[in-house]
Amino acid sequence: MVDLAIDIRGVTKRYAEHVAVRDLSLQVPRGAVYGLLGPNGAGKTTTIRMILDIIAPDEGTITLFGKRHTDTGVLDRVGYLPEERGLYKKMKVRDVLKFLAELKGIDGSEAERRIEAWMERMSLKTVDKDWGNSKVDELSRGMQQKVQFIGTLIHDPDLVILDEPFSGLDPINAQALKDTVVELKARGKTVIFSTHIMDNAEKLCDSICIIAQGQKVLDGAVSDVKAAHAGRTVAVSFDGAPGSAVDAILRDTTLIASMDDQNRFLELELADGASSSELLQRLVHAGASLQRFERVQPSLHRIFLEKVGATGVEAGMSGHG
Amino acid sequence: MGKLKAIIRREYLERVRTKWFVIATLLGPLLFLAMTVIPVLFVSRTKASPSSSNITIIDATGAALGKRVAQALQDTVAVKPVVTTVPLQEIAAAESLATKAIIAEQRQGYLILDTATMSGRAARYTGRNTSTVPDMRRMDDAVQKALLELRLEGAGISAARIDSLTKFNVQLDKTQLSSKGREKSGVGGAIVGLLVAFLLYIVLLLYGQTVLRSVIEEKTTRVAEVVISSVRPEILLAGKIIGIGAVAMTQLGVWIGSSAWLGANVVPMLVKRSVTGDNAAASARTSSELMSGLPSFSFGLIGAVLFFFVAGYVFYSCLYAAVGSTVNSESEAQQAATPVAMLLIVSAIFIQPVALAPQSTLASVMSMLPFAAPIMMPMRMSLIAVPAWEIAVSMIGMVVACLAAIWFSARIYRVGLLMYGKRPTVRELFKWLRYA
Repeated sequence: MVDLAIDIRGVTKRYAEHVAVRDLSLQVPRGAVYGLLGPNGAGKTTTIRMILDIIAPDEGTITLFGKRHTDTGVLDRVGYLPEERGLYKKMKVRDVLKFLAELKGIDGSEAERRIEAWMERMSLKTVDKDWGNSKVDELSRGMQQKVQFIGTLIHDPDLVILDEPFSGLDPINAQALKDTVVELKARGKTVIFSTHIMDNAEKLCDSICIIAQGQKVLDGAVSDVKAAHAGRTVAVSFDGAPGSAVDAILRDTTLIASMDDQNRFLELELADGASSSELLQRLVHAGASLQRFERVQPSLHRIFLEKVGATGVEAGMSGHG
Repeated sequence: MGKLKAIIRREYLERVRTKWFVIATLLGPLLFLAMTVIPVLFVSRTKASPSSSNITIIDATGAALGKRVAQALQDTVAVKPVVTTVPLQEIAAAESLATKAIIAEQRQGYLILDTATMSGRAARYTGRNTSTVPDMRRMDDAVQKALLELRLEGAGISAARIDSLTKFNVQLDKTQLSSKGREKSGVGGAIVGLLVAFLLYIVLLLYGQTVLRSVIEEKTTRVAEVVISSVRPEILLAGKIIGIGAVAMTQLGVWIGSSAWLGANVVPMLVKRSVTGDNAAASARTSSELMSGLPSFSFGLIGAVLFFFVAGYVFYSCLYAAVGSTVNSESEAQQAATPVAMLLIVSAIFIQPVALAPQSTLASVMSMLPFAAPIMMPMRMSLIAVPAWEIAVSMIGMVVACLAAIWFSARIYRVGLLMYGKRPTVRELFKWLRYA
């Protein structure tokens, strides 16, 4: 059996008006970078909060590193960056970090040593300027994000949980975050992050889980997920505007299930029973001047839309990135 | 435990280090001194002004009483009264002349001594300073003394003998007898009672709202979520209340300690310096009465004040924390916290009635109602001997109220801390109580 960092089994969380998470089970192998994908309101944050014992599930069990997540000390091995970020505004940067370290059971000189190392690494302490003695609200937003990020990792957690980590990050901090995730993985740490930006997930994740309306839609290794959906997607582009004959072919639902205009090319999802060679034949026959005709692996974005769209959660997609 | 300690330390140090705290803690005692001792000093300042001797004495007694009064008035001040001796029927003319002198601001007033004075019934004084108590008391003393001397002399007693017979100054030493035993009493006791009540009221309000703001800060900055991913919300709440409570204790400790020092060292000095002349004895008496009230602060009372302060603080800070967790901003909090503040304000309104009648039914009831007890009971205990059963009922009620407040606020807090948006209705709050 695989060594699991997170093992969630049959978890349900109900609120008065709705069910936030319904019978969710997912396994995150140790050392993986895991993406929790879903539209807004799908239950990602609720799931994360249940893992962290911030809220209690109504049913089901959550195990971290083989122990119940409520056991003493288990959560000290977890670092958490919430979606809505914030720190004590009036506290000095060093004091905030020291406090966050103490909450995870790291204190005294060990905490101080790590704080200095991290501040140098994140260039909060340079030869010119030491921000450690400044109050948090004297820092720019980007620097505050760095401080928060240090706070998440200061206790060298084995499991790092990031809720929408890329939202609100400037490109430099986003890059730093990506680098850090890669480095954490290289050191054998497990990283789980939620996002609705598929590009980030596709680049960074080993495995993903897509949830919608509180239920798992699909999960697995990114390569497996993409392979399972391969061969059904074709990228097409034309020299100049396609004629009416070509348009008719593209609108034939026996041939094409869906079409997504990507501006420079069209991403076509083949209908059941149709093949790419049949499509190519008909396009050539209609006299289309093809610039590109390629069987492509579908993007996670595409799979996501297809899967989540099928469960009828279109409303949540309005904010997708 | 280490995490709880970290939270307590953060709450404590972040507050104690602020300028506001340092200034308020250091200036507090001076402010209390200004508020309590100085008015007392003003009242006890019984020295008459020298200008009160600058009067016309219209003597129609025909027995030179005017001269004797002038003599008595001159005893302590350099200013000499003018004595006009007139026959009875010319009083009116002399009076209008004296009135002119007052209008021209040459004289403070005029005193008419006539047959009514000689018979020991009345003398009339008209002047600018009739509402100045020390001036009038001095005038009164002078007339009484002059008349007494005149009569004693008429009875054939020598002037020197009269002098030695009438020179005395009895000091009334008051002791309150209660079921607790004998106790010194005086202005001091009442002042200490009121001081204790207002101090408790101010501290409960101040630090209750500090807890409120602290909860809101963690909620609005969203730092709460990071913290409760490491510790249970109950630990965070407990650490917050203990930490801020320690700040309150520190401040109160400095206030009480330095007030006691000021009371023991600086106040007598101030009193002494402000008092000279004939009324020195009276002043000294007032200030010694004031001081004699202070030692009645027994260990039992200090223990009771401590108990009610801690219990009151736990009760109110829990309620404030619960309110803080249900709101999204400080401005919303003002409105939401009104019911809690009302409990404190109602208690404060009753401070004066209860202080004036500490043995009344109203006082007993107020000091046993859990929300008012932390203010009322210590005040009553510093004023009178409160029956033991009342103290017991009040303390038990307070403990029960605290446990209820802790239970209630822990539940509201852990749900409210993660809820943003619309403020919950009362019905929703009851739902939250059942979530946990």
